[in-house]
Amino acid sequence: MAEEFLVAQDLYKSFNEHKAVNGVSFTIYKGEIFGLLGPNGAGKTTTIRMLTTVLEPDRGHVTVGGHSIRDNADAVRSLIGVCPQELALYEDLSAIDNMVFFGRMVGLDGREARAQAMAHLELMGLVERAMGKVGKFSGGMKRRINLAIALMGHPELLFLDEPTVGIDPQSRNNIYETIEGLRDRGMTILYTTHYMEEADRLCDRIAIIDGGQIIAMDTPYQLKSRIGPLEQVTLEDVFLKLTGRRLRD
Amino acid sequence: MTRPLIVAIKEVRTYLQDKGDLAFSLLLPIAIFALMYGAFGRDFLFHGTAHVVNEDKGGTYSALLLERLDGLEMLDVEMLSSEEADSRLERADVLMVLYIPRDFSDKLTAGEPAQVLFKQRGHGGQQGQIVAGIIRGVAEEMNQKFQVHNQVKNHLAGTNIPEDRIEVTTQKFLDREREHPIVGVREETVGIRPDPVSQFLPGIVTMFVLFAITLSARAIVEERKKGTLERLLTTRLSVGQLFAGKFLACISRGFVQTLILLILAYIVFQLFTPLSFVQALVIAVVFAAAAGAIGLVIASIARSEGGATWIAVFFTMTMVMPGGTFFPIPEDSVIYVISKASINTYANDALNTIIVEGGSLADLGLEMGVLAGVAIAGLVLSRILFKVMPGGR
Ligand SMILES: Nc1ncnc2c1ncn2[C@@H]1O[C@H](COP(=O)(O)OP(=O)(O)O)[C@@H](O)[C@H]1O
Ligand SMILES: [Mg+2]
Repeated sequence: MAEEFLVAQDLYKSFNEHKAVNGVSFTIYKGEIFGLLGPNGAGKTTTIRMLTTVLEPDRGHVTVGGHSIRDNADAVRSLIGVCPQELALYEDLSAIDNMVFFGRMVGLDGREARAQAMAHLELMGLVERAMGKVGKFSGGMKRRINLAIALMGHPELLFLDEPTVGIDPQSRNNIYETIEGLRDRGMTILYTTHYMEEADRLCDRIAIIDGGQIIAMDTPYQLKSRIGPLEQVTLEDVFLKLTGRRLRD
Repeated sequence: MTRPLIVAIKEVRTYLQDKGDLAFSLLLPIAIFALMYGAFGRDFLFHGTAHVVNEDKGGTYSALLLERLDGLEMLDVEMLSSEEADSRLERADVLMVLYIPRDFSDKLTAGEPAQVLFKQRGHGGQQGQIVAGIIRGVAEEMNQKFQVHNQVKNHLAGTNIPEDRIEVTTQKFLDREREHPIVGVREETVGIRPDPVSQFLPGIVTMFVLFAITLSARAIVEERKKGTLERLLTTRLSVGQLFAGKFLACISRGFVQTLILLILAYIVFQLFTPLSFVQALVIAVVFAAAAGAIGLVIASIARSEGGATWIAVFFTMTMVMPGGTFFPIPEDSVIYVISKASINTYANDALNTIIVEGGSLADLGLEMGVLAGVAIAGLVLSRILFKVMPGGR
């Protein structure tokens, strides 16, 4: 069995009586891409916020690389990289300045931050725009910068919260390839999405979350074969069967 | 420990790229300063207009008198016809007019005494009196020269020294006398000159530095809105370091603003000595620290940019109004008691002590103590009140 890297046990989080996360447990193993798949409002982002030390769980326990998020948050932060669902960029600054700034924040020195920034911009196909103000970038470019920033400091565990929402197919494909490249180099990734084909293509294992609870967790192959013959079943069918057809906001 | 510094540098860079912000915090103070200069700058030395009616048209001596008056830096000469002069005196539009009579030059040429006339309304006004005094001085000087010249000429009458030589030699002696007078006048200024600029400068400095409250109040909310706050808190930057960075940025901004204003005041108005300059700068920085810390308290409780701005503006105004920025507060009034609750009061008092009264930092224990105390209390309080988001750390 592979090494456990993130262990989440029985997480709860409410906002004014509303149970956003309602008893979530899972384990992410080193080197895998773990998908958190669920409709809007399922509790994906809230879960990530707890795992990344931004929100304190009401109950439950998380360790990352053996460190508790409660008792040793700084050690946890030194292991993780986070690409938030909403763009988190300084639009007044250039791409390179954004990257270097966050690089310094994760503990790189100036020279290393610049070197990594250039390497990641290269990876994202944005080297020519390094000096350009982020505010002037297209939506797809901003998404790519948003992801590139999360790579600063070569984190061991990367959180990607719906990184491909609302962008063009080229940018999306670039992001897929980047993520596959990172996996091949041994990075562990937690990936949330509500796009089925994305989860199917990228994830080693998937947890389907709805109403703050995990309702199924397995490999894409196993999830599909639960429903029917593999040739006819898509992950979308699994998803709709498990989460129902009720519209979400 | 360099992280707060990096945050501050990022902040300052962003600020330098925001043209509106830059214009507001740097150009506006300079513009106000320039206005002040326009309003008060030239008034340090007297400057007035001599209204003159010259009835001695074409006379050599009236021309000489007018030429001398026009040559004075503190006087402009405005020529009037006698009807104009009468009607303007009547309307109290001018209060004092100099008349040069028709026979002015003829009399002087004939060696007889001649007179000019001041027509004045009431006392002729303060300016009129000063102008008259200046004209008297000029007339006196001409008189003296004229007399000396005539006496020398009479004395040497009958010798065969040519007249133009007498003229030149007399003038030479008179000039020498003027350059090395027997009774000279020297000016010495004691302390710092109480002029309008030094009265206004503390208010302008504190008012603009006080806007640090608004700017730092927005600082955290803006990060939250951009989403960068959440991202920052997943890095190794602690909330304390983030606040320290914002705080540092705020102080640097206050420092740069004040530096520019004080340098201008130094160069243009010579309001400072090197020591008082540094002391004024120290006060402004401590004041910026207090303002920045208050801003961070607002930032830590505000939920939106608009909210932060309005709380901060309200706070700023309640600090400025009784803070002695716009008008001096009489010591026995209710406002005086209220003013003690405004940090502006302490900053203004401190700057006044340095700029107007020529005091030193050693006299400012109370003021500096209050400002530093507010800065520290604000920092602590803001950290206690802060939450990343409801339910967050
Ligand atoms: N800070 C918050 N305050 C109040 N309610 C919240 C907050 N964050 C999330 N929620 C609520 O919690 C539920 C889960 O949200 P979220 O975790 O963002 O879902 P997802 O990322 O799966 O779309 C939603 O109903 C959302 O409205
Ligand atoms: Mg979400």
